[in-house]
Amino acid sequence: MPEPILVADRFTYSYPDAAHPALADVSLELDAGSFTLVAGESGCGKSTLLRAACGLVPHFHGGEASGEFAVGGMAVREHGPGDLAEVCGTLFQDPESQVVMGGVRAEIALGLEHRGESPAAVARAVEEAALALGIGHLLGRRADTLSGGELQRVALAAALAHRPRLLLLDEPTSQLDPVAGDELIWLLRRLNEEWGTTVLLTEHRLERCLPAADRVLALDRGRLVCDAPPLDFLAWAADAKPPLATPAARLFSLAGLRPLPGSVKQAKASLAQAGIELESEEPPVQAKRKRGIPALELRGVWHEIEDGPAILRGVDVHVEPGELVALMGRNGAGKSTLLKHAKGLLQPTRGRVRTSGEVALLLQNPGDYLIHEHAREEAGESALISAGLSGRAEADPRDLSGGERQRLALEVVLSADVRPAVVCLDEPTRGMDRSRKEALALRLHELAQEGAAVIVATHDPEFAAQVADRVLLMGEGELIADGATAEVLAGGWYFATEVARVLGGAGGALTPEQGAALLARELVS
Amino acid sequence: MSLVPVYQRRASALHAARAGASATFCLSLAFAPILFDNPIVLGALLCAIVAAAVGAGVARDLRRWAVYAAGLALLVVIINPLVTSDGLTVLWRGGSFLGRRWDITLEAVVAGAVAALRVLDVVLAFALMSVTVDPDEMLRALRRISYRSALAAALTTRLVPVLARDASRKSEAARCRPRPPGRTAVARSAVAGSLERAVELAAALEVRGYSRARRPQVARQPWSRHDLRVLASALSIIVLAITARLAGIGDFQAYPTTQVSAGTAELLLGLAFVALAYAPFVGLGGRLGVARA
Repeated sequence: MPEPILVADRFTYSYPDAAHPALADVSLELDAGSFTLVAGESGCGKSTLLRAACGLVPHFHGGEASGEFAVGGMAVREHGPGDLAEVCGTLFQDPESQVVMGGVRAEIALGLEHRGESPAAVARAVEEAALALGIGHLLGRRADTLSGGELQRVALAAALAHRPRLLLLDEPTSQLDPVAGDELIWLLRRLNEEWGTTVLLTEHRLERCLPAADRVLALDRGRLVCDAPPLDFLAWAADAKPPLATPAARLFSLAGLRPLPGSVKQAKASLAQAGIELESEEPPVQAKRKRGIPALELRGVWHEIEDGPAILRGVDVHVEPGELVALMGRNGAGKSTLLKHAKGLLQPTRGRVRTSGEVALLLQNPGDYLIHEHAREEAGESALISAGLSGRAEADPRDLSGGERQRLALEVVLSADVRPAVVCLDEPTRGMDRSRKEALALRLHELAQEGAAVIVATHDPEFAAQVADRVLLMGEGELIADGATAEVLAGGWYFATEVARVLGGAGGALTPEQGAALLARELVS
Repeated sequence: MSLVPVYQRRASALHAARAGASATFCLSLAFAPILFDNPIVLGALLCAIVAAAVGAGVARDLRRWAVYAAGLALLVVIINPLVTSDGLTVLWRGGSFLGRRWDITLEAVVAGAVAALRVLDVVLAFALMSVTVDPDEMLRALRRISYRSALAAALTTRLVPVLARDASRKSEAARCRPRPPGRTAVARSAVAGSLERAVELAAALEVRGYSRARRPQVARQPWSRHDLRVLASALSIIVLAITARLAGIGDFQAYPTTQVSAGTAELLLGLAFVALAYAPFVGLGGRLGVARA
């Protein structure tokens, strides 16, 4: 039996001045060469577990630690991040905050130079890491010219260049679109299989990485509550923690089918085995409605950069009061630019934007809206109540959790004296767990019922299916699809929900509930 | 487009040369104006810097730097006549105040303009360096002397555009609030945000072995034609400047009356500076292998 690369024995850790421990009595062993996924709701201790494994906890963050936690035979309470860097490569959520050097080549080389490697060894390792991650063509580029996906790959190459035995990744796909996110996960699987690198990964969208994992650890309020292979984890989650189950697993669970599938492929095979054959019929195309008075109208809008590309290319959009619209498309498709035009932050170089009233816009980083020292100064009392923060009026907004910041920022932009006619949100679900997404979906439905046109730019098809009744799909600055949610998301591949992929788009079912109802009808007939 | 032009790899001889050679070239263009206060020579050196920028394809970046530098130069032009009353040609009598006379003289105005020209030369030579010399390569060399200082400088060059983007995002978010906050509140928040980013970067550096960092070893790389041409040009500018100064070419006297040497020697010296600054880019040799594959 090979030595485990990570051993924790009753490890407990509290951040300075924290009322509760972030990790409590955690005991586990990670085998070398394994691919382990850490699951749990926001604030459950996933990131802290990774920060303990790379030595930032307790050396960088301070606080109190007890019990044992060793990585590569080094106890983290005695060895700091510098020592553990010999064994670990670490990748955080935001690549902007971890890329140190200006150029890609220098960035990948930095860790190796810290170790005193010879120039020849550095050059070779940089070349190999870049080729392994498919970024050889980026070696001569500057970091500030890269897209989010490219920058994340560069950061991964920098973490891998010295061939660490253990790779720690904290929600590495949260800033990426579905295409870049899937590519990154399969890249990790390849590294795990070909290089034998042990992977410890935290992620909210489990359906994305579960097929690649050998094992899942679930944390709840700092405690390890499940440690099992993926299929056993899903069986546990379906009963004990439904928000952690993947959409396909929830579909099977609701339909009373067993075993729960770990991937789309498994789900399809199980359905075929159960003799369920669904016609992948086209979802019913809704008849074109007569257009009413728009809350927001863009007519032939172009946004062209001087000496640069055209970000929007003749976009026509018509959104009516009370409509809930999901705006989808890969990174750089023009979604954020379109929302900024709706708000009036940008002016079209050609075309026209018209609104029937105020536009509220919540941009990608809710923290940018919070500029005061107390939450109560950001918005009024009623806004704090709407955000569910009435007990935290005196808190510094920077101390709020990601979800709390997001709720507060949304209430800040909604706090005008006049009710907004249009509410736009740019990627509001990044790094959010399912419970929080459901709460946000509820709030957006409330706003739509009050008569606002709600437009949500998102990469998350599950959220789009849950919240929107219409989807606009953008590509290269153009509107490439505009239809009912079932129409657009049931027939797609990347821009499709997991349930739609399992059921092949049958009946336009997108959510586990819709899919389960369809399966129930199929089982009865 | 970033507010302050930063290094971007371009297909030019100056970008293709090793950082040491390119930096020496730019520093030679900053060194020469320090030796001279003759406006003809200083003007020629300004032309030399512009010629090098055109050759390197960064004239546009330099123009943006020139806007910042012009403000500074204007300040020098205004301040010098106010603090110096030397010179015989009085343009305006300001009377006595605080125990001294406040006369504005033509000589002081001219001396201020010459000093401003020199400031413009030096700032633009450093601006040329900032947009043509790879900071990572430069700092790798400096890390052998002072690791922490060089890394701090590397972080600064990397973070300036990141923090500028952060600040611009915050300003956009402020415009989205129903009651937009004042600039001070946004600026304070941007500073707090930059501190948060600094903490995250510190964590990222820690996990990459910063605390156990050793001095990097010297990398040997073959000398390219561009290394040699750029370095030769830089050394020629330095040697020519020193020789000309020792020979008394390019004299200038501001007070009591302005006297400028404006003979053939000064004109030839100026032309030589321009020619040497443009030399690395001339001919086929200046274009071979300049792009990165």
